[in-house]
Amino acid sequence: MQLALNEDQTQVLDFVEALARPFASAPLHDAGLALESAELDAALVENGFLDVMAVEELGPVTAALVVEKLARLPFAVEAAASALVRPLIDPELPRPLCLVEEGRTSGPVRFLRPGATVVVVGQSGVRSFTASADQIAAAQEDTLYAYPVAFLTGLPEAMTSHDVDPAEVTRAWRVAMAAEAAGLLGAALASVVTYVSERKQFGRPLATFQAMRHRLAEAQVVTNTAHWLAMRAAATGDSADAAMALLHAQEAAKRVCYDYHQFLGGMGMTLEHPLHLWTYRLKLLTSELGGRGAQGLAAAEALWG
Amino acid sequence: MQFEWTEEQDAFRHKIRDFLHAQLPEGWEKFSEHGPASPALTAFARGFCEKLAEVGLLFPHWPKEMGGEGLGPWEQQILSEEMWIAGEPRGGQYMNVNWIGPTLEKYGTAEQKARYLEPITRGESLWCQGFSEPDAGSDLASLRTRAVLKDGHYVINGQKIWTSYAGLADTCFLLTRTSDDRKKGITIVLVPMDTPGITVRQIPSLIGEGDIHEVFFDDVTVPETARFGEEGQAWEIVAYSLRNERLGIPRFTLARAALDRAVMMLKDRGDFTREYVRIEAARCAALCEAAGTANYAVVQKRVDGLAIGAESSSARYATVMAERAVCEFVVEFLPEALAGASPYLKMHHQRGIVAGVAAGSAEIQLNIIASDVLELPREPR
Ligand SMILES: Cc1cc2nc3c(=O)[nH]c(=O)nc-3n(C[C@H](O)[C@H](O)[C@H](O)COP(=O)(O)OP(=O)(O)OC[C@H]3O[C@@H](n4cnc5c(N)ncnc54)[C@H](O)[C@@H]3O)c2cc1C
Repeated sequence: MQLALNEDQTQVLDFVEALARPFASAPLHDAGLALESAELDAALVENGFLDVMAVEELGPVTAALVVEKLARLPFAVEAAASALVRPLIDPELPRPLCLVEEGRTSGPVRFLRPGATVVVVGQSGVRSFTASADQIAAAQEDTLYAYPVAFLTGLPEAMTSHDVDPAEVTRAWRVAMAAEAAGLLGAALASVVTYVSERKQFGRPLATFQAMRHRLAEAQVVTNTAHWLAMRAAATGDSADAAMALLHAQEAAKRVCYDYHQFLGGMGMTLEHPLHLWTYRLKLLTSELGGRGAQGLAAAEALWG
Repeated sequence: MQFEWTEEQDAFRHKIRDFLHAQLPEGWEKFSEHGPASPALTAFARGFCEKLAEVGLLFPHWPKEMGGEGLGPWEQQILSEEMWIAGEPRGGQYMNVNWIGPTLEKYGTAEQKARYLEPITRGESLWCQGFSEPDAGSDLASLRTRAVLKDGHYVINGQKIWTSYAGLADTCFLLTRTSDDRKKGITIVLVPMDTPGITVRQIPSLIGEGDIHEVFFDDVTVPETARFGEEGQAWEIVAYSLRNERLGIPRFTLARAALDRAVMMLKDRGDFTREYVRIEAARCAALCEAAGTANYAVVQKRVDGLAIGAESSSARYATVMAERAVCEFVVEFLPEALAGASPYLKMHHQRGIVAGVAAGSAEIQLNIIASDVLELPREPR
């Protein structure tokens, strides 16, 4: 048991921090919710931050730490699938990587665009294809998610089969989503804490009212444990750990997203405050991989058969 | 960052398990239904702790100067986990080795150390903690039990409540008021429980017989040398003690073990097929593991010699969430467990429901998290 960061991990996170600094605050934006940065994406790729899992002294925990840290930024980056799942399938697959479950391909797919690699994970195997414009239906302009999303119009006849255990890919996918959710939860909490500490009503900061303090403190508890369960799942590679980590993260997301907007009052309904950039990503993540129920069933199966 | 135990730690855990296997009598599970402070368990714990001492497992985490093995916080954690999962066969003596011993060593006079440490190391003594009063629970600093120094003796008058182990304890680690200064007016006195003027009354409870008590002090007189530390030093000393005991009992381990037991019972009767039961069980397991990792993050800080702050309250609250979920799971899907079908699950339920009250309530933990982890501006007083 050694839960402190080692030197390599501290160093990698410091690098990521420095690289991400110009992207740490959200520009005012009012057209659509998704906020991306090609520049940030390119910098991450160039510096190899999405490939740390394969580096022996770094491995999956460092990859999960990087994913969590990036998820705290106001800019959405396709890092989780690339950093934590792609190495298992084929490290050369072109990004962004879009993971979809076989039989559940009609929902909104995050980061889907021409040139993206779509990975279809099913009981029978793992297959992929490079998405072309005619396979993609753009989401409505007024999509409410803070990720760029699009829809698949269908799957091509010919796909590349990958020699990898689909259960293993699903496990890594859960870890990836749990790590991303942990970062989103952390950033959303921090932004609400700042707001309610500064905003005054009745002559005192809102944060001095216990009705708020307790709900925020509970949010801290589940946010903290979402982080630890994600890191443990990354470290152990255990399928029960992965399912519990994502289950816990999805529970946490469901618990906090509503409250956080509530705590901001009218400001929580605007695009002016960046809170939605994290919560409206979390909202989409609560449905990932079948949502809480599916994670629960997977965990139960792995734990008790 | 890695989440595996070392080989030595695994071996240490197995040593404890082997010992428990050899020492716990037939029918132990049924027996452990008796609360940790019951006469039955207290009597058992005496012999059991003596044997633990013989094999170096009573206080292996104490420094060598104190006669321990100098093992670290992880080993203390492993020891606590294995004991608590087994129904805590040490009874109230777990307090001796977790915080009373180390606190005596740091703050005690030579006479106090000579008198009290030795029996602790032999597994023979039982302490109780006289903190809470009828009007001083969460607001502990408002306590009123008075100790007045007169002719070289303290004369103590007042009342304590919820005192675990008081019925059988030899000594009380007692908080008294020696002046009106809220926190600086509190003084610790070590009071032998057979001192005239002490009356102990058991409080019938939902958590096992003999667990909680009222203790009355009527002109209880002890020599001045029974004072522990200086007058007014209690708050500082208790803060130190709690640093040794911040996480308290590793409840998440028993909650997790109880959950596994409940699932096995459901499986045995072919009832672990309904999806919502399986999902609910998984949710409970995730909460137990969540509490476990939060607790371990605090232990890590101890290992690294870092100051432990409010993150221990966060771990405590995570534990309350896990305990609550498992208790509710059992009641909903295995109601017969609390009506005699499973001594183990009944034992867990009795111990689990106190998680959010004993040793500082859940809401107080939330207050601490809000102020000291989230650093929200303080509530007006
Ligand atoms: C099994 C058990 C064993 C115990 N053993 C011991 C022992 O050995 N020695 C000892 O000294 N004590 C012991 N205690 C007492 C324990 O420490 C107290 O019960 C605890 O501190 C709460 O105090 P109280 O019971 O007076 O509740 P109260 O303080 O009256 O609290 C009642 C409710 O109000 C809430 N509340 C209180 N203050 C606030 C606030 N500021 N904000 C929001 N909510 C608040 C509490 O969270 C709780 O939900 C034990 C208790 C139990 C249940």
